Amino acid sequence: MIIVTGASRGLGRAIADRLISAGHAVVGIARNTEGLNFPTYSCDVADAEAIKSVARSLRSSGEEVTGLINAAGIASLNLALMSPAPQVDRVIRVNLMGTIHCTQSFTPLMVRHKYGRIINFSTIAVTLGLSGEAAYAASKAGVEAFSRSFAREVSAFGITVNCVAPGPIGTDLLRGVSQGQIDKIVDRQIIRKQFQPADVCDVVELLLDSRSKSLSGQVLHVGGA
Amino acid sequence: MNQEELGKRFLGVLFAVLDLSRGSLSLESRLMGGDSPIDSFSLVEICVQLEDLASEAGFEFDWTSDNAMSQSRSIFHSVESLQTEFTRQFSESSE
Repeated sequence: MIIVTGASRGLGRAIADRLISAGHAVVGIARNTEGLNFPTYSCDVADAEAIKSVARSLRSSGEEVTGLINAAGIASLNLALMSPAPQVDRVIRVNLMGTIHCTQSFTPLMVRHKYGRIINFSTIAVTLGLSGEAAYAASKAGVEAFSRSFAREVSAFGITVNCVAPGPIGTDLLRGVSQGQIDKIVDRQIIRKQFQPADVCDVVELLLDSRSKSLSGQVLHVGGA
Repeated sequence: MNQEELGKRFLGVLFAVLDLSRGSLSLESRLMGGDSPIDSFSLVEICVQLEDLASEAGFEFDWTSDNAMSQSRSIFHSVESLQTEFTRQFSESSE
Protein backbone atom coordinates (compact mmCIF):
# COMPACT_ATOMS: atom_id res chain seq x y z
CA MET A 1 0.00 0.00 0.00
CA ILE A 2 1.24 3.49 -0.86
CA ILE A 3 0.11 6.54 1.10
CA VAL A 4 -0.33 9.74 -0.90
CA THR A 5 -0.95 13.02 0.89
CA GLY A 6 -2.62 15.92 -0.87
CA ALA A 7 -4.47 13.29 -2.85
CA SER A 8 -7.55 15.34 -3.68
CA ARG A 9 -6.03 17.57 -6.33
CA GLY A 10 -2.93 18.78 -8.13
CA LEU A 11 0.16 16.60 -8.16
CA GLY A 12 -1.09 14.42 -5.30
CA ARG A 13 -4.22 13.52 -7.24
CA ALA A 14 -2.27 12.91 -10.46
CA ILE A 15 0.14 10.63 -8.59
CA ALA A 16 -2.65 8.72 -6.84
CA ASP A 17 -4.45 8.18 -10.15
CA ARG A 18 -1.23 7.07 -11.87
CA LEU A 19 -0.36 4.59 -9.12
CA ILE A 20 -3.86 3.13 -9.07
CA SER A 21 -3.69 2.71 -12.86
CA ALA A 22 -0.38 0.91 -12.41
CA GLY A 23 -2.03 -1.54 -10.02
CA HIS A 24 -0.85 -0.17 -6.68
CA ALA A 25 -3.13 -0.03 -3.65
CA VAL A 26 -3.31 3.65 -2.68
CA VAL A 27 -4.58 5.35 0.45
CA GLY A 28 -5.10 9.06 0.02
CA ILE A 29 -4.97 11.74 2.67
CA ALA A 30 -6.54 15.12 2.05
CA ARG A 31 -8.61 17.71 3.86
CA ASN A 32 -11.47 17.24 1.43
CA THR A 33 -11.87 13.67 0.20
CA GLU A 34 -15.31 14.07 -1.30
CA GLY A 35 -15.65 12.42 -4.71
CA LEU A 36 -12.40 10.46 -4.54
CA ASN A 37 -12.86 6.92 -5.77
CA PHE A 38 -10.12 5.26 -3.72
CA PRO A 39 -9.63 4.70 0.04
CA THR A 40 -8.97 7.96 1.84
CA TYR A 41 -8.63 9.60 5.22
CA SER A 42 -9.90 13.11 5.61
CA CYS A 43 -7.47 15.16 7.67
CA ASP A 44 -5.01 18.03 7.64
CA VAL A 45 -1.33 17.02 7.43
CA ALA A 46 -0.48 19.97 9.68
CA ASP A 47 -2.42 18.26 12.49
CA ALA A 48 0.08 15.88 14.08
CA GLU A 49 -2.49 14.11 16.26
CA ALA A 50 -4.83 13.50 13.33
CA ILE A 51 -1.97 12.00 11.33
CA LYS A 52 -0.99 9.78 14.27
CA SER A 53 -4.56 8.56 14.38
CA VAL A 54 -4.44 7.64 10.67
CA ALA A 55 -1.21 5.73 11.31
CA ARG A 56 -2.85 3.80 14.16
CA SER A 57 -5.74 2.90 11.89
CA LEU A 58 -3.42 1.71 9.11
CA ARG A 59 -1.35 -0.31 11.57
CA SER A 60 -4.39 -2.07 12.92
CA SER A 61 -5.54 -2.85 9.37
CA GLY A 62 -2.40 -4.97 9.04
CA GLU A 63 -1.77 -3.88 5.47
CA GLU A 64 1.85 -3.53 4.44
CA VAL A 65 2.85 0.06 3.72
CA THR A 66 5.61 0.26 1.09
CA GLY A 67 5.56 3.92 0.19
CA LEU A 68 4.75 7.41 1.39
CA ILE A 69 4.40 10.31 -0.99
CA ASN A 70 4.20 13.63 0.80
CA ALA A 71 2.57 15.66 -1.94
CA ALA A 72 0.35 17.88 0.21
CA GLY A 73 1.45 21.45 -0.20
CA ILE A 74 0.33 25.02 -0.52
CA ALA A 75 1.97 28.00 -2.14
CA SER A 76 2.11 31.63 -1.13
CA LEU A 77 3.32 33.67 -4.03
CA ASN A 78 3.87 37.04 -2.42
CA LEU A 79 6.84 39.25 -1.78
CA ALA A 80 8.12 38.33 1.67
CA LEU A 81 7.67 41.88 2.93
CA MET A 82 4.00 41.74 1.98
CA SER A 83 3.20 38.27 3.27
CA PRO A 84 0.87 38.24 6.28
CA ALA A 85 2.34 36.26 9.18
CA PRO A 86 -0.58 33.78 9.37
CA GLN A 87 -0.09 32.97 5.68
CA VAL A 88 3.64 32.33 6.13
CA ASP A 89 2.88 30.25 9.21
CA ARG A 90 0.37 28.12 7.30
CA VAL A 91 2.83 27.53 4.43
CA ILE A 92 5.49 26.31 6.87
CA ARG A 93 3.00 24.19 8.83
CA VAL A 94 1.54 22.43 5.79
CA ASN A 95 4.64 22.07 3.61
CA LEU A 96 7.32 21.43 6.20
CA MET A 97 5.57 20.31 9.37
CA GLY A 98 3.03 18.28 7.39
CA THR A 99 5.87 16.39 5.71
CA ILE A 100 7.56 15.82 9.07
CA HIS A 101 4.36 14.69 10.83
CA CYS A 102 3.49 12.20 8.09
CA THR A 103 7.04 10.89 7.86
CA GLN A 104 7.27 10.41 11.64
CA SER A 105 3.94 8.67 11.86
CA PHE A 106 4.05 6.45 8.78
CA THR A 107 7.71 5.39 8.69
CA PRO A 108 7.31 2.86 11.55
CA LEU A 109 4.83 1.05 9.28
CA MET A 110 7.73 0.51 6.85
CA VAL A 111 10.37 -0.22 9.48
CA ARG A 112 8.37 -3.35 10.37
CA HIS A 113 9.11 -5.06 7.08
CA LYS A 114 12.42 -3.33 6.36
CA TYR A 115 11.37 -1.72 3.12
CA GLY A 116 10.01 1.63 2.09
CA ARG A 117 10.12 4.49 -0.35
CA ILE A 118 9.49 7.99 0.95
CA ILE A 119 9.13 10.73 -1.62
CA ASN A 120 8.89 14.33 -0.52
CA PHE A 121 8.23 17.39 -2.61
CA SER A 122 10.47 20.38 -3.01
CA THR A 123 10.58 22.99 -5.75
CA ILE A 124 12.93 24.56 -8.25
CA ALA A 125 12.41 27.78 -6.28
CA VAL A 126 14.82 26.48 -3.62
CA THR A 127 17.67 26.24 -6.11
CA LEU A 128 16.84 29.32 -8.17
CA GLY A 129 15.89 31.61 -5.28
CA LEU A 130 12.84 32.96 -7.04
CA SER A 131 11.46 36.34 -6.06
CA GLY A 132 7.97 36.22 -4.55
CA GLU A 133 8.40 32.67 -3.26
CA ALA A 134 10.49 33.22 -0.14
CA ALA A 135 8.17 31.53 2.36
CA TYR A 136 7.33 28.71 -0.03
CA ALA A 137 10.99 28.15 -0.90
CA ALA A 138 11.97 28.30 2.78
CA SER A 139 9.42 25.60 3.64
CA LYS A 140 10.68 23.40 0.82
CA ALA A 141 14.34 23.98 1.66
CA GLY A 142 13.38 22.65 5.08
CA VAL A 143 11.84 19.60 3.44
CA GLU A 144 15.09 18.97 1.53
CA ALA A 145 17.22 19.27 4.67
CA PHE A 146 14.85 17.05 6.65
CA SER A 147 14.87 14.47 3.87
CA ARG A 148 18.67 14.28 3.67
CA SER A 149 19.03 13.75 7.43
CA PHE A 150 16.10 11.38 7.70
CA ALA A 151 17.45 9.31 4.80
CA ARG A 152 20.48 8.48 6.96
CA GLU A 153 18.32 7.63 9.98
CA VAL A 154 16.29 5.00 8.14
CA SER A 155 18.76 3.60 5.60
CA ALA A 156 19.38 0.54 7.78
CA PHE A 157 15.72 -0.38 7.41
CA GLY A 158 15.81 -0.53 3.61
CA ILE A 159 13.93 2.76 3.42
CA THR A 160 14.96 5.43 0.94
CA VAL A 161 14.01 9.09 1.23
CA ASN A 162 14.21 11.42 -1.75
CA CYS A 163 12.77 14.71 -2.91
CA VAL A 164 11.23 15.54 -6.24
CA ALA A 165 11.63 19.21 -7.11
CA PRO A 166 9.50 20.26 -10.04
CA GLY A 167 9.69 23.51 -11.92
CA PRO A 168 6.42 25.25 -12.84
CA ILE A 169 3.97 22.42 -13.41
CA GLY A 170 0.44 23.01 -14.64
CA THR A 171 -1.49 22.67 -11.38
CA ASP A 172 -3.60 24.92 -9.13
CA LEU A 173 -0.43 26.10 -7.38
CA LEU A 174 0.37 28.20 -10.43
CA ARG A 175 -2.98 29.96 -10.36
CA GLY A 176 -2.27 33.68 -10.59
CA VAL A 177 1.18 33.27 -12.13
CA SER A 178 1.39 34.80 -15.59
CA GLN A 179 2.66 32.80 -18.57
CA GLY A 180 5.47 35.34 -18.89
CA GLN A 181 6.66 34.58 -15.35
CA ILE A 182 6.38 30.84 -15.99
CA ASP A 183 8.43 31.19 -19.19
CA LYS A 184 11.18 33.05 -17.33
CA ILE A 185 11.48 30.21 -14.80
CA VAL A 186 11.37 27.55 -17.51
CA ASP A 187 14.22 29.38 -19.30
CA ARG A 188 16.39 28.81 -16.22
CA GLN A 189 15.82 25.04 -16.19
CA ILE A 190 18.39 22.78 -17.85
CA ILE A 191 15.64 21.42 -20.09
CA ARG A 192 13.75 24.51 -21.23
CA LYS A 193 10.28 23.07 -21.33
CA GLN A 194 7.26 23.35 -19.07
CA PHE A 195 6.63 19.86 -17.76
CA GLN A 196 3.26 18.42 -16.83
CA PRO A 197 1.95 16.40 -13.86
CA ALA A 198 2.45 13.21 -15.91
CA ASP A 199 6.19 13.94 -16.10
CA VAL A 200 6.36 14.28 -12.31
CA CYS A 201 4.46 10.99 -11.99
CA ASP A 202 7.16 9.35 -14.14
CA VAL A 203 9.85 10.48 -11.69
CA VAL A 204 7.77 9.33 -8.72
CA GLU A 205 7.35 5.89 -10.28
CA LEU A 206 11.10 5.74 -10.90
CA LEU A 207 11.79 6.42 -7.21
CA LEU A 208 9.12 3.99 -6.03
CA ASP A 209 10.63 1.17 -8.03
CA SER A 210 12.50 -1.38 -5.94
CA ARG A 211 15.46 -0.93 -8.31
CA SER A 212 15.95 2.62 -6.99
CA LYS A 213 17.41 1.16 -3.79
CA SER A 214 20.74 2.96 -4.27
CA LEU A 215 19.14 6.41 -4.43
CA SER A 216 18.53 8.10 -1.11
CA GLY A 217 18.85 11.61 0.31
CA GLN A 218 18.70 13.06 -3.20
CA VAL A 219 16.77 15.90 -4.79
CA LEU A 220 15.61 15.17 -8.33
CA HIS A 221 14.81 18.31 -10.29
CA VAL A 222 12.14 17.78 -12.92
CA GLY A 223 13.53 19.74 -15.86
CA GLY A 224 16.93 20.07 -14.24
CA ALA A 225 18.25 22.98 -12.20
CA MET B 1 -2.46 -10.17 29.28
CA ASN B 2 -1.55 -9.01 32.79
CA GLN B 3 1.18 -6.59 33.81
CA GLU B 4 3.63 -9.32 34.82
CA GLU B 5 3.28 -11.13 31.54
CA LEU B 6 3.60 -7.84 29.66
CA GLY B 7 6.83 -7.09 31.52
CA LYS B 8 8.26 -10.46 30.49
CA ARG B 9 7.20 -9.99 26.88
CA PHE B 10 8.77 -6.50 26.98
CA LEU B 11 12.15 -7.99 27.90
CA GLY B 12 11.66 -10.68 25.27
CA VAL B 13 11.36 -7.95 22.62
CA LEU B 14 14.60 -6.33 23.77
CA PHE B 15 16.54 -9.56 23.80
CA ALA B 16 15.19 -10.61 20.41
CA VAL B 17 15.96 -7.31 18.68
CA LEU B 18 19.38 -6.95 20.27
CA ASP B 19 20.25 -10.60 19.84
CA LEU B 20 21.63 -10.69 23.38
CA SER B 21 21.73 -13.33 26.02
CA ARG B 22 19.61 -12.50 29.04
CA GLY B 23 22.66 -12.03 31.25
CA SER B 24 24.15 -9.26 29.14
CA LEU B 25 21.40 -6.69 29.70
CA SER B 26 20.15 -5.44 33.04
CA LEU B 27 17.37 -3.07 34.04
CA GLU B 28 20.05 -0.42 34.61
CA SER B 29 21.50 -0.78 31.10
CA ARG B 30 21.39 2.52 29.23
CA LEU B 31 19.40 2.67 26.03
CA MET B 32 20.75 5.98 24.74
CA GLY B 33 24.07 7.79 24.96
CA GLY B 34 26.99 7.06 27.22
CA ASP B 35 28.06 3.45 27.23
CA SER B 36 24.83 2.15 25.74
CA PRO B 37 25.38 -1.06 23.78
CA ILE B 38 22.33 -0.20 21.68
CA ASP B 39 22.49 1.75 18.43
CA SER B 40 19.72 4.10 17.40
CA PHE B 41 18.49 1.76 14.65
CA SER B 42 17.94 -1.01 17.19
CA LEU B 43 16.14 1.39 19.48
CA VAL B 44 13.71 2.32 16.69
CA GLU B 45 13.15 -1.36 15.95
CA ILE B 46 12.49 -2.04 19.64
CA CYS B 47 9.88 0.73 19.74
CA VAL B 48 8.16 -0.52 16.59
CA GLN B 49 7.97 -4.03 18.06
CA LEU B 50 6.71 -2.63 21.35
CA GLU B 51 3.94 -0.90 19.39
CA ASP B 52 2.94 -4.32 18.09
CA LEU B 53 3.09 -5.85 21.56
CA ALA B 54 0.97 -2.99 22.89
CA SER B 55 -1.61 -3.56 20.15
CA GLU B 56 -1.75 -7.21 21.13
CA ALA B 57 -2.28 -6.18 24.75
CA GLY B 58 -5.00 -3.74 23.73
CA PHE B 59 -3.35 -0.34 24.13
CA GLU B 60 -1.44 2.24 22.11
CA PHE B 61 2.22 2.72 22.99
CA ASP B 62 3.23 6.35 22.44
CA TRP B 63 7.00 6.66 22.17
CA THR B 64 7.05 10.04 20.44
CA SER B 65 5.73 12.26 23.20
CA ASP B 66 7.64 15.19 24.75
CA ASN B 67 8.26 12.89 27.67
CA ALA B 68 9.99 10.32 25.52
CA MET B 69 12.93 12.52 24.57
CA SER B 70 13.14 14.86 27.57
CA GLN B 71 16.75 15.09 28.76
CA SER B 72 15.83 14.88 32.42
CA ARG B 73 13.18 12.16 32.31
CA SER B 74 13.59 10.39 28.98
CA ILE B 75 11.83 7.06 28.79
CA PHE B 76 14.88 5.87 26.84
CA HIS B 77 17.29 6.49 29.72
CA SER B 78 17.48 2.83 30.66
CA VAL B 79 15.79 -0.52 30.16
CA GLU B 80 13.96 0.09 33.42
CA SER B 81 12.67 3.56 32.46
CA LEU B 82 11.33 2.25 29.16
CA GLN B 83 9.74 -0.74 30.83
CA THR B 84 8.18 1.50 33.49
CA GLU B 85 6.70 3.80 30.86
CA PHE B 86 5.49 0.88 28.75
CA THR B 87 3.68 -0.78 31.65
CA ARG B 88 2.42 2.62 32.87
CA GLN B 89 0.72 3.23 29.53
CA PHE B 90 -0.74 -0.28 29.73
CA SER B 91 -2.11 0.35 33.24
CA GLU B 92 -3.47 3.75 32.24
CA SER B 93 -5.33 2.21 29.33
CA SER B 94 -6.83 -0.47 31.59
CA GLU B 95 -8.26 2.06 34.05
